[in-house]
Amino acid sequence: MLPEFFEFYNPTKVVYEDGVATDLKPELDIIGIKKYFIVSDHVIHDLGLVQKVADGLAEAGVEVTGTYLDVAQDARLKDVQFCADQIKASGAEGIVSIGGGSVIDTAKAANILFSEGGDLVEDYSGAQTLTRPLKPHVVIPTTAGTGSEVTMIAVIYDEENKEKLAFPDKFLLPTLAVLDPQMTLSLPPKMTAATGMDALTHAIEAYVDIDASPISDAFATGAIELIFKHLVTATRNGDDVEARGGMQIASTMAGIAFTHSMVGCIHSMAHATGALYRVPHGVANAIFLPFGMEYNFEEITEKLARLARFMGEDTTGLSTEDAARSAIAAVRGLTAQLNALDALPIRLRDVGVPEDGLEAIAEGALNDGSSFYNPREMDECELLPYIKNAY
Amino acid sequence: MGMFKSAEEFETVIVGFFNLIGETPVIADKLLKSKMIIRFIYTDPDLVVVVDCSGDKAETRAHDTETKAIVEMSMSADVAHRFWFGMVNLTKALTRKEMVAKGPIPKVLKLLPAIKPSYAMYPQYLEANGYGQYNITKSYTPPAG
Repeated sequence: MLPEFFEFYNPTKVVYEDGVATDLKPELDIIGIKKYFIVSDHVIHDLGLVQKVADGLAEAGVEVTGTYLDVAQDARLKDVQFCADQIKASGAEGIVSIGGGSVIDTAKAANILFSEGGDLVEDYSGAQTLTRPLKPHVVIPTTAGTGSEVTMIAVIYDEENKEKLAFPDKFLLPTLAVLDPQMTLSLPPKMTAATGMDALTHAIEAYVDIDASPISDAFATGAIELIFKHLVTATRNGDDVEARGGMQIASTMAGIAFTHSMVGCIHSMAHATGALYRVPHGVANAIFLPFGMEYNFEEITEKLARLARFMGEDTTGLSTEDAARSAIAAVRGLTAQLNALDALPIRLRDVGVPEDGLEAIAEGALNDGSSFYNPREMDECELLPYIKNAY
Repeated sequence: MGMFKSAEEFETVIVGFFNLIGETPVIADKLLKSKMIIRFIYTDPDLVVVVDCSGDKAETRAHDTETKAIVEMSMSADVAHRFWFGMVNLTKALTRKEMVAKGPIPKVLKLLPAIKPSYAMYPQYLEANGYGQYNITKSYTPPAG
């Protein structure tokens, strides 16, 4: 059945090539500006990746007006303002961000203040509050999971009020997303597995959520196929350029899918678990993914049955219900393989969540904005048994 | 030109309905739990209404431009009218800028299941209060009696 309405909008240009992050002249010439400010973090800097990109920019005839490296694990509100001030003072005309989701989201939010001025919370919290394009933003992801290089949202942590603020806006979509497997080769196995499972959760939730469309479905299923093909290899052998590239492309495709159709109960539970017990987002998503699929099973049986094929399952001769169950089994099989590589915990008890904290996770999940898009209306009492199963 | 012939009439209709919602426990209890203060900024005709759920009971105040709202929602009176029939997909309306929301959107989305019963109440409210001309529900059947 076709959706009553959907919109697809993705002006971000995506380029992929092994080594392309240091050879961006053709793309930068089209954008047309000559002064960029780099936003990254100390880990990426110490790995030499910032210098590598900066050298490439210099060769492309572009001036780097400054560098901001103080992005924390969660993109923080106070960093955004400080970063924006530095970008503005440097005389830059655009931004290059090099890093994972926190770096990219910090750069996106800083670009609002750099381009438009004002106060991030007072003037821009809400939905689609911007009225015109921001300054050019080139994104070079160094993980394969967040998809932030192609999403229209920035998530910023407000330390003072201890809450995550979401800024969804079309004008936050970056100008250029640069997918270069060389930028992810140094990602450790645990990060590779967790971020990869984050991408898989984006793709599966995007496919089953209430705002899914035929176009977001195409990106979601493409991402799922690539993840099942490449995630274990990329985790086991980080130097495998093809597996790294496959995961980068998958992450971007999953990002395009979920920025249009959103995420659901799995992210709701992961957000709550992250806020309460500081469990890394990708790990929490990986733990909850099969249980969230089970929670939604009645509403999404046919969709799951279709997804099984993209996970490499042979569903010939199976009933729709059995084919759907094989999709959940395939996800469990994938996480078991990553667990066997000592790269991914698969139980809440293994990541420091106390047994008496499960009800708080259920309550937090209900209060999360993602719960709205879940295909099954979320109920705290009905959700709790699934969280207990994940324990 | 919008559906409502004057700001006064729209104010009477919408404020009356918000008051009704505030007196309906199945909805009001959840709104009060949220502590939400929301300012609706309507156009065509122009009207500002604050729904304040921060106290013991839900209060609706027209022309309140002073109270610091948690969320501000701007839309035309016609979009607001269709919303209360359950005919507006909120995410679609936000995407197409038929509604502009300022503030923490997840807190608004979270309230949608709570206000669901009000969609059935709205046409009944219009009919019962002499605003039947605004009832755009084609299949609407007046309550018996």
